[in-house]
Order: sequence, then structure tokens, then C-alpha cells
Amino acid sequence: MSEMNLKTHVDDIINALKDDSKGEVSREELEKELEKFIEYGVPIEQAKQTLIKKFGGLAVLTSSTPSERTLISELKPNQSSVKLLGHVIAINPKEVTVKGENRTIYYGILGDESGTIPFTSWGTLDVEKGDVIEISNAYTREWQGAVQLNLGDRVSVEKTEKDRLPKSAFEPKKVKLKDLRSGMGKVDLTARVLEISARDTDVNGETKKVFSGVIADQTGKAQFTSWHDFMIKEGDVLRINGGYIKAWKGIPQLTFDSTAIVKKLDKSKIKKDDLEVNQMLLHELIEKRGALDIQVEGTVIDIRPGSGFIHRCPECKRVIQNDECNLHGQVKGLLDLRIKLVVDDGTGAVGSILNRDITEKILGKTLTDVKNMTQEDILEKINNKLFAKTIILRGNALGDDFGTTLIVREAKLAEINVVEEAEKIVNELEELL
Amino acid sequence: MKRETAWRLFAGEYNDSTVEIKGDGEMTPSYIVTPLGAKVNRVFIIGVLTDVENISEGGDLVRAHVSDPTGVFTLYSGSYQKQTTEALSKIEVPTFVAIVGKVRTYSPEEGTIYVSVRPEKIMEVNADIRDKWIIETCKNTKDRIEAILEAMKMDEKNEFELRKLGFSKELSEGIVFALKNYNNIDLNKYVKIIQEALQYLTSSKETLPVFKKEEEEKVPIKIEDTIDEKLLIEKFEDLPEEKEQDFDIKSEEKNEESESKFEEIEDIVLEIIKKIEGDDGAPWDVITENCEKEGLNKDSVEEALTSLMDKGLIYEPVLGTIKTT
Repeated sequence: MSEMNLKTHVDDIINALKDDSKGEVSREELEKELEKFIEYGVPIEQAKQTLIKKFGGLAVLTSSTPSERTLISELKPNQSSVKLLGHVIAINPKEVTVKGENRTIYYGILGDESGTIPFTSWGTLDVEKGDVIEISNAYTREWQGAVQLNLGDRVSVEKTEKDRLPKSAFEPKKVKLKDLRSGMGKVDLTARVLEISARDTDVNGETKKVFSGVIADQTGKAQFTSWHDFMIKEGDVLRINGGYIKAWKGIPQLTFDSTAIVKKLDKSKIKKDDLEVNQMLLHELIEKRGALDIQVEGTVIDIRPGSGFIHRCPECKRVIQNDECNLHGQVKGLLDLRIKLVVDDGTGAVGSILNRDITEKILGKTLTDVKNMTQEDILEKINNKLFAKTIILRGNALGDDFGTTLIVREAKLAEINVVEEAEKIVNELEELL
Repeated sequence: MKRETAWRLFAGEYNDSTVEIKGDGEMTPSYIVTPLGAKVNRVFIIGVLTDVENISEGGDLVRAHVSDPTGVFTLYSGSYQKQTTEALSKIEVPTFVAIVGKVRTYSPEEGTIYVSVRPEKIMEVNADIRDKWIIETCKNTKDRIEAILEAMKMDEKNEFELRKLGFSKELSEGIVFALKNYNNIDLNKYVKIIQEALQYLTSSKETLPVFKKEEEEKVPIKIEDTIDEKLLIEKFEDLPEEKEQDFDIKSEEKNEESESKFEEIEDIVLEIIKKIEGDDGAPWDVITENCEKEGLNKDSVEEALTSLMDKGLIYEPVLGTIKTT
């Protein structure tokens, strides 16, 4: 090893020790110890780590030899010493209280030619939207099923020239609807408009028309809002370039304005018949938190309290107990029927709510038919009908801190051909081995 | 807090579990990790309820067994699970039941773990639903085998790479954990478990009489989850053990007779197997259990089985299952 190289490695060790070393150690001593390790053939990185540990530092590798940068699409959770090159798509300060102390952290979105990633900086970050920056010693964590970039104490961020990134890094990312997530930056997608309606809103004292509705491609559905009149009609197939994504309870929403490029394509590009409802495994749904109009299949493993007969306030339709509404006081409650289920497909579990219509269809009885039954009897009936059965549910899934709930629009019990399924498994097993 | 997934797994996989991830409080749940990487806190099982037994004086602690095509689940339900305890006491055995339950473990010593299930909900179901459960459980078991195979291909077993292949977060974590904590996972055994379970369906042998025999048998007492209960069960275990000792002493005393005595044991064992094997063979532990009831000790049963196998009077079509020739 050349003298120069040894020097840089010792620099690394001293750097790593600077923050939290308890005792002082001289450069000469470090050099001597490191040389000894090298003599014995210990790999250099391991030798450095050992010495950092020995002198009380955080044993994390910090290589000064510039390592290859990682592309954003290749990032995994729990990586350390990450080096990236990207442009700042968005950045916002946020006041937080850490151990009683007020601090400003920054969160935003970073993009390169491979993709985008949300980041959080725990220290001051002197960059602006549009800057191209080089980041080293960042680390990654997982947050709500997605990789998140963290800029911690050891990070270094430097502004650099724009042309170090390929042009494609600044263009909106081509995406399919099922992959939409908040914090994606600008996107470029092709979809069919299923619903659209216009309404007036007040923006800074001016009345403005806003268009919103539902779009779909073969992979999924999303809501959209357009702040500009692109003369969009139901049934149009559009390429929308330059929108960005927000999410409400896991349901993605595409928002765009006059800066976006909206092009009408031939309607055959996405045919209405191609847009089947998308079936999802429950773990996929839970990891995304929510989704618009999807279908799931699972086993009913619980019938929750709040199922069966309920009473609603005649004024506000809220569920009430003992004819007492929180808002309207003493009222004569209206009898209603519903089922709250837990459905589990072996990969995950979601709650679901079946309103009276669907409950009546599932039970094959109307509320009038059953209204003389006791609560106990109706619950037993529901249990016998549904517990341990496989059910197919379609609806919107909303995710919050308590999990994901499906607001059911259609429900039916699944038919399973046991012999056919058994044969399928036998064949698949053979392929496996 | 997120609701725990109710895993579908066969008793044959569940009971093989020997590693645990202990949660350190109410908010961090505990899991067992099966050899196929299922990271289980909750299970969904359907099988034949074969016996329910009161094991406390007040009658508020019951033990029950539920048999699937690959083995037997042990259930404990106590006074804190009033509904399920009552339901279990009322159900007439044998019958098909569906159970949602929580994983329980009992570790009598470091490194040994017995698993059981504490039911949260139990209901009688029909044979069709049971068949569907077998199908689903076969599929999920096969998925886990696939995930293990995928992970084995990787240089570095990585949860994130598995998730990219479409496996759930829980399973991916479980697979990585299982590969770290189990030596030599015998995938063939679990492939056989799936095949066995499927045979149950395709030959439509899922009629109750097959199970009635098992109902008469006591499944080995293994799992307890409270100290009180443990003491109670030790009382149960005392009885057969005394018999075994008796037998040992006698056989030592009468060394000369030991040869003919051994043949006698072989005959008893063979008879027992014939009695319980049905079309699918008799599970090893059920044989042992029955022989113990006849006053034979475990070691001599093992010996007899080996000897019978050497003589070609019995064989092992599937690991752990014995049939006469």
C-alpha cells in the first residue's frame, strides 16, 4: 500500500473518531496499528472498522475513496453509507420537537434518472428546489412499505452541476396506475377517463373551475383533479405528462394544472373492456394502505361487534346507542342492518363493512324479514352464513393507523372446485421440484 | 396496531417449530417461526375436533385436540377465553371445526419449545369448508416452499429481494429468519405433507369414521402454558410413567425371558398398528401412545418398530407414518 493511501485511510479513521471519541489517539499510533493489520493481510475496510471501534467511535465504514453512486431505484431499506446524485424535486422545512427542543427538519423528494425517493434531513439543509446535489453517507429506512432516505449527522451534501445528471432525470417518470404513491414527483401516465365532473371553487377570491373524476389503466384506478380545462370528456384516453401524486388514506390522487401536457390518444389504446376490476392479495393492499375500486378474496375469520341490528339517528344517520345521538340528543332510532367482517387471505387481514343492501343479499333476507329476530339470533345467522367461508369483496380500501378497511360495494361467497384446485397444486408441485 | 394475519398451516409444519421471536411487551407481539418461514402469531385451522378434556378442577381450563391430515393441533382454552372454553365443552366430538387462535409456546427447558393454540373463535363447520381449507393450506405451504427455494438461490438472503418477487413482508422476514435459525430444512418432508393432504381429498376419504379411531387415542401431553396448568399435567404424566418403570425392572430381572418377551412386544405393537392404520397408515406417535397404554415403554416400542421393519412386516410410506405390509 502506498504511503498516500495509508494517509487517507488514517484520515477516515480520525474523521470517524472525531464526533464521539472519548480518549485522544495520535495519528502515529493509528498509522502503526493500521500497518500491522495490513501486514497480517486483514482487509483494509475491516481493519479500519476494528480500529474505529477500538478507540470508541461508531464502527461504521466511511470510505473516502469515492464509491460508486447508487441509483435511487436500487435502494433498499436499512442501507448505510449511501452515495447518491440527484435533483431536488421538492423541499419543505418542518418544525418538530425533539426531547423538548425545537428543531427544524427538512423533508422533500429527490429524483435521478431511475426514480424518485422521499427524504428527511435531520440537520440544516442549504439546498433549493431544482438543485442537483451529491449526497454521501446517507442511510435508508422503511416507512409504510416504501424506502425512505435519511440524511443524518454524518451526511455530506454538495451542490454540483446540472449536466452531471442525464436529461431523462428531469423528465416525469413513466408509471402505471397501480404503482402510484405520494411523493413520486412528476409522473407521466396514460389512462382512460371513467368519470369526470366539474365544480367551482374559490381561489384567492376568484372563481375557478376544477375538474375531478376517476381514471384507469389495465393495472388500477386513481382519482384525479385538474386545475385547468383540458376539455376532458368521459371515455377519453389521455397521456398526462407532468402531474403529481398525493394520497388520501392510501388512495392515490393525480393532480395537474396548465403546466402539464395532456394529449388525447386513440380510444382503442385502452379499451373499456380491458379495464377489469383489479384483484389484489391482502398483503399488497395493506402495504399500499388503500386503493380505489379493487377486488379481494379471503376467508371470513371474524364477525366484529357492531354487526347485526343497529340504530341510526334519523337526523344525521350516525349509529347511536339507547336512542341517544351525540348531536341530536334523545331521538327515535331507525333500525338498520350491517355486517363488519375481518377477512384474511393468509397473507394479511383487512376489516370490511357491508351495508344493509349487501347484508340483505348475502343473507337472502330483507330487514323486514328478520326484524323480529333478537340480536343474538341475527348474529348467529350471520356467523353460520359467513364464518370460515371464502368471500369475494369489491370496493374502495381506506388505510389509516388502525389498518385497512374495505368499504364494500359488492360481495359474494366464492365457489371453489376442490378437485380442480387439487390437481393444479399437484402440477405446480411437480414443477417446483 | 396492525391486525395479525391468520396463517394457514398444517399441524405437521406447526408442530415442527422450534424458534420463537419473543415480543417484549403488550405492543410487540410474539411469534413462532416455522421451518418454512411462516412468522405466526395467529392461525386459522380447520380439522376434526377429536377430544375435549377438562384439566382443572373448576372446569374452566380445557385441552382439546384438532386433527388435520398431517398431524394434531393441541388447544388450550381457559377462563379468560370464556366463550371458546364453553363452546369447546359443548361441541360433540368428533366433528369438523374451524378455529381462529393465537400461538402459545411452552418451553420446559432452554432450546425446547412446544407449541399449542389458544382459540379466539371456534365453530362447527361442514366437510366442504374443511376441504377448501386443505386446498388453501396446501397452496400457502407450497408458496412458503417456493419462497425458501428462491431465498436459497440468493447469495445473501435478503428480505427485500424476496418482497420484490411478490412475497409478503411477513413471509419474507420469516423466511430469512428460518434460514438463519434452522439447520437443514427438510423441504421434501413438507412436499410430502402437501401430497398427503391432497390425497385426503382426491380419494375422498374425508368421512368421519376414519377419525373416530384417533378420537379414542390420547395424543401425547406436551404443551402447557401456565405454571398451574403445568403442575396439573405433571399429575397426568405420572401415571403411565410408573407403569413403564415397572416394566423395565421386570424385564431386567428376567433376562432370560427377554427374547421371547421381545417377540411378545412385537406382536402387541403389530396388532396395535393393524388396529389403527386404516388406509393411510398409523402416525408414529399415535402408535407409541397406544402402546404405552398397553404398558409398553417408548424405547421398547421403538425397538420393536425397527425390528418389525427389518423383518418386512411394516414399512414407512411417509416419514412418521407406519403401515403393515
